[in-house]
Amino acid sequence: MDDYANIWLHRAKWAYLLLVVTTLMTPVFYVMYISFNENGFGAAEYVFTTRWYGLIFADAQLMNALRWTMSLAAVTTVLTIPMALLAAKFYKATRAKVPVVFLLLAPLFVAPDILSAALLVFFKNLNFTFRWLGDQLGVSFMDGWAQLGFTTSVIGLIIYTIPYAFVVILITMGRYNKEQTEAARACGATGWRAFWDIEFPQIRPGVFSACAFTVILCFNEYTRTSLLKGGFDTFTTVLVSQMLNSGMSEQSYAMSSFVSFVAIALIGGIIVFTLLRSEAAARRAQPVAEPGTRSTAAA
Amino acid sequence: MTAPTDNGLDGLPPVEPYRPTLRERMSGWAFWVPIVFMVLFFALPMALTVVFSVFERTMFWMEPGFTLAAYENFFFSARLENFLSSMGYSLISVVVSFCLGFPIAVFVRKSVPQAAQHRVVLLFILPFMVSEIIRIFALRPVLQRNGLVNETLINLGLIDEPVTALIYTHTGVVIGEVLSFMPFIVFAGFLAMEAVPKFIFEVCDDLGAGPVRRFTDVILPLAAPGIFAGAVFIFVNGIGVALIPNILGGPGAVNGGLIATQAITALDFPLAMAVSAIMMATLMGLLYIGHRLFDLTKILAPMN
Repeated sequence: MDDYANIWLHRAKWAYLLLVVTTLMTPVFYVMYISFNENGFGAAEYVFTTRWYGLIFADAQLMNALRWTMSLAAVTTVLTIPMALLAAKFYKATRAKVPVVFLLLAPLFVAPDILSAALLVFFKNLNFTFRWLGDQLGVSFMDGWAQLGFTTSVIGLIIYTIPYAFVVILITMGRYNKEQTEAARACGATGWRAFWDIEFPQIRPGVFSACAFTVILCFNEYTRTSLLKGGFDTFTTVLVSQMLNSGMSEQSYAMSSFVSFVAIALIGGIIVFTLLRSEAAARRAQPVAEPGTRSTAAA
Repeated sequence: MTAPTDNGLDGLPPVEPYRPTLRERMSGWAFWVPIVFMVLFFALPMALTVVFSVFERTMFWMEPGFTLAAYENFFFSARLENFLSSMGYSLISVVVSFCLGFPIAVFVRKSVPQAAQHRVVLLFILPFMVSEIIRIFALRPVLQRNGLVNETLINLGLIDEPVTALIYTHTGVVIGEVLSFMPFIVFAGFLAMEAVPKFIFEVCDDLGAGPVRRFTDVILPLAAPGIFAGAVFIFVNGIGVALIPNILGGPGAVNGGLIATQAITALDFPLAMAVSAIMMATLMGLLYIGHRLFDLTKILAPMN
């Protein structure tokens, strides 16, 4: 039976798909809706306001936490993407594919609380070891190496984000023809030239999406950062401690919505950008596909 | 430069053998960086949990030694019971997610044009990209006594009294897990359905197999590795993400992740490590069984 034999069944399936997406998004949209209410959650009367957002941006502690979040996201992205690229290249070249892919994808299967607990104890022990070593050698420069702080959070976030970046980059690399690199090498390009001038432009969309994923994941992350961060606070850790300690306030609705808005804006931007790009690429490819129109396109 | 001895190339200089420069030779090692990083900061800490779990507990930390006190503390207390019941509820979440999510993956592969398939799956990335913690917290105003669901049902006249079983119960935990992790079964199912070519549906039609037989005898065996990976993912997150029972669960809703987090708060680090080690063993066991049953490397086929 093909899909159009019973058009209503086909439509019902589409409706179900969209219903599921809507259901998944409803809590987020509902929180956004509440966040613009002057009277907060459960009020009988809905009065539109942006006051709660104003409060966030006026709060120095929150703005400071937001700065920490953004620097964490930036540093993690800058480190994760090249590593994921190297790992993807390594995976393509190596014969021992299963151990490599296991090592890179396993963090997906380890629950956040478990991974961060393991890392927390690991870093604490490492810190004690470094201090002890330093005492034995009479030097103190190693004392801060494994202290909980920015570095340890970045390490935790890299381990969290690298599987996603790796998979996205690997999938885009799958469409790349390796013969092009061979041709470039045969023409005398170094390995780096061949990568940067030939391969990278073709996998660029994947790399960009991987960047966006990493930024969003870091921006959203709570468990790993909260256990590994040491002294400072990020936006989500402030938010969660507020919500756990004093319940949902009007401001926490606004903060939650703010985080969701950022993520949705980023992912929406990427989708629009990719669609525009693929359309532009299709327009460029058309004269090649239909040679008759080429001269007019060139002119 | 010496005169060319070989005249067979019309006087062109001989080709020098290719010698990689120092930079090129060094750059080969760069490819090992991610591997070394993952071994050092992922595999090693996870393996060390076993070692740290047998250390002696001190007031604020632990010291090297060998004791099974942490395991005793886990296996001979209410913790084991909680852990096992969280496994049960996690299993329910897996089944519910599969029933709700997998048909979507089949539908997208079967009925959506090839070029649009990825875009449709992208729809499910959207909820996943909103912070998990915020989605879980957002369920509170939705499921509460005077929340969205109850208000809607009362306004529609379907119920008279608000349903209180939706939150701060095990039901709340299952709802939270399904809504958090269902996109994964859609992704995993979508990848798994790569192993089920479109013509298979036509073949089934021609041979007269109904939808049920088509599903149990054809789709399920072919897509099994991917389905299994998605199911394991949901299962381990169900027993590992502490925030879901913490925020949506009531009394007795405690999973492995929450036990570990509470142990850290109580400065009982060996116990936290023991829980981590047990979770690792569970995961490894599941992956091993899955690998023996369906050869999980098949999932990687689309990536090669």
